[in-house]
Amino acid sequence: MGEQIRILVVDDEKGIREGCRRILAGEGYAVDVAENGKAGLELVKSQHYDLIVVDLMMPVMGGIDMMGHVREIDPEIIMIVITGFATIETAVEAIKHGAYDYIPKPFTPDNLIAVINRGIETRRLRLQTKRLMEERDQKLLEIANEKSKMHAIINSMADGVLVINRESQLVLWNPAAIRMLNLNEQLELGRQISEIVQNEDLIRVIKKACSPEASNYTSITEEIELPPPESKTIMVNVSVIRDDESGQDLGLVATLRDITRLKELDKLKSQFVAMVTHELRAPVSAIEGYLTAFLTGAAGSDPQMYRQMMERARQRARSLLELINDLLQFSKLEARSAVRKKEPLDISGIIKNTVELLKGQAESKDLTFEMDIPDSLPLVEADRTEMEQLFTNLISNAIKYNVKNGKVMVSAKPNKHFLNIKVADTGIGIEADCLPCIFDEFYRVSCPETRYTTGTGLGLSIVKKIVESHFGRIDVESTPKKGTTFTVKLPIKQKK
Amino acid sequence: MSRKTRILLVDNDVDFIDLNKAVLENNGFEVAVAYAGREVMDKVKFEQPDIIVLDLMMEKHDTGFAVARALKADPVYKNIPILMLTAVGSETGMDFSQELDGYWMKTDDYANKPLSPEELIKRINALLERNKKA
Repeated sequence: MGEQIRILVVDDEKGIREGCRRILAGEGYAVDVAENGKAGLELVKSQHYDLIVVDLMMPVMGGIDMMGHVREIDPEIIMIVITGFATIETAVEAIKHGAYDYIPKPFTPDNLIAVINRGIETRRLRLQTKRLMEERDQKLLEIANEKSKMHAIINSMADGVLVINRESQLVLWNPAAIRMLNLNEQLELGRQISEIVQNEDLIRVIKKACSPEASNYTSITEEIELPPPESKTIMVNVSVIRDDESGQDLGLVATLRDITRLKELDKLKSQFVAMVTHELRAPVSAIEGYLTAFLTGAAGSDPQMYRQMMERARQRARSLLELINDLLQFSKLEARSAVRKKEPLDISGIIKNTVELLKGQAESKDLTFEMDIPDSLPLVEADRTEMEQLFTNLISNAIKYNVKNGKVMVSAKPNKHFLNIKVADTGIGIEADCLPCIFDEFYRVSCPETRYTTGTGLGLSIVKKIVESHFGRIDVESTPKKGTTFTVKLPIKQKK
Repeated sequence: MSRKTRILLVDNDVDFIDLNKAVLENNGFEVAVAYAGREVMDKVKFEQPDIIVLDLMMEKHDTGFAVARALKADPVYKNIPILMLTAVGSETGMDFSQELDGYWMKTDDYANKPLSPEELIKRINALLERNKKA
């Protein structure tokens, strides 16, 4: 109560009204007066008072009536009754109607001040109690909000959460944990964790975290396998919950993360590394074999044969260099998706340049090029280096797997949304059962015609990756001994 | 005069075949070749080899095993000794051995690549010798 305390004096006797005003103002209170209950009530409605001194017997509205109305407006106002008939009955009656105390007439200023001060003190204490109760209610509400917020957060986590107390009872869990471990959704609070969770590995990790040795570390992380039907790999992290203040162990929190997909990717990566190793080893061991035979004379004494061997060793060395380039290209494509530099490109120029660069290779086989590429093609949003790589791989394949005096046909034709580029050859073709595999990494069709053709087995995988990263698609048609046609569709840059 | 010992070399690496064919011929063997697992049965029928040197990884990573199983299940060809060659051990750390895995691999001997020509000849002769006694 920092403000000045306000008191209302209601009495029909002007002498008492004014007397009280003088005495109380002298005590530092702000005092208003009214001549009857009705006038007093009007004042109470219009402004705030801490305490009311009211006469019981007044015309228009008496003290008892007025007190009833005041209590409806503000139950905390202290009301003190002045009464000329100071009997026990009237006092009891007044207190029944909500009066705090009474002052018998006549009274001395000291009487009045003593009763008023006591009333004011009570008012102060009442208000304080009320404030404290409100504060407590507010805090309880906040705690409840906090609790439901925490529940909402835990329940929306993608990772599973299980909280276990010191008695190994399950005390908190979230839907992700229920889903991952395929638990009964109607879990009862406080059951033993080992009764609820069937997975022995998970129980073992939890027990390990409970053991005395576990106090050396803050958490344990292990991978566990969930058997079918779940068939998942879960990374479990179990941490001890320690009370901030006392440092006492309160229990354990286990978080479960489904890493099945990561494991699959990891496995694919390992398989890729194994394939790369195999592909790198093959040319090196061939070269090593030829050199050993040459140095030891193991293949006899025909110099022509050794010459052929050295020629093959050189070819294999070159293909090894090609393979290393392709591998670099391949890993760049895997990592680059975020930094690919796309610009509006005229594909016709890129194709013509590529053909120009590969002419030499084509001449050694007496191949002819047939080009059907309009001078102005709609632009394609693409990365220049990757487009060059794409058409180099396709056209050099058309040359490599062609027959002597064959043809390589390159055409480009736009339709509404796509630019269709065809690279066709009159070469050896691909058997139907091999077609689905030709875009796989390191896949090479094995047939007598290509036995001595070197290749990395990565060219078409690179082509496919480039096309797909440009939101296009690639199709292949082939007839054995007639030829193969690759069709690349690239989306045309739409004018805005 | 008895005919020369005939070897069927099976490998998808043309250089491995060319090189070892030259070396084996230089050492008095007759050599027939196959470049894929699926060619093996026809070659065996046609060439009647005395021994087969078979690569493991060809069309598929386990083509050699499939070929060996098919041969050992055939009453006519089950006695032709098979020497399985593979680089799988050095690439994956997965090591097979004739003693422990021979019964299911259906092989008579097993060697890791790379293998020097002298070592290959030694293994072929040893296997032929053992097979003659049996």
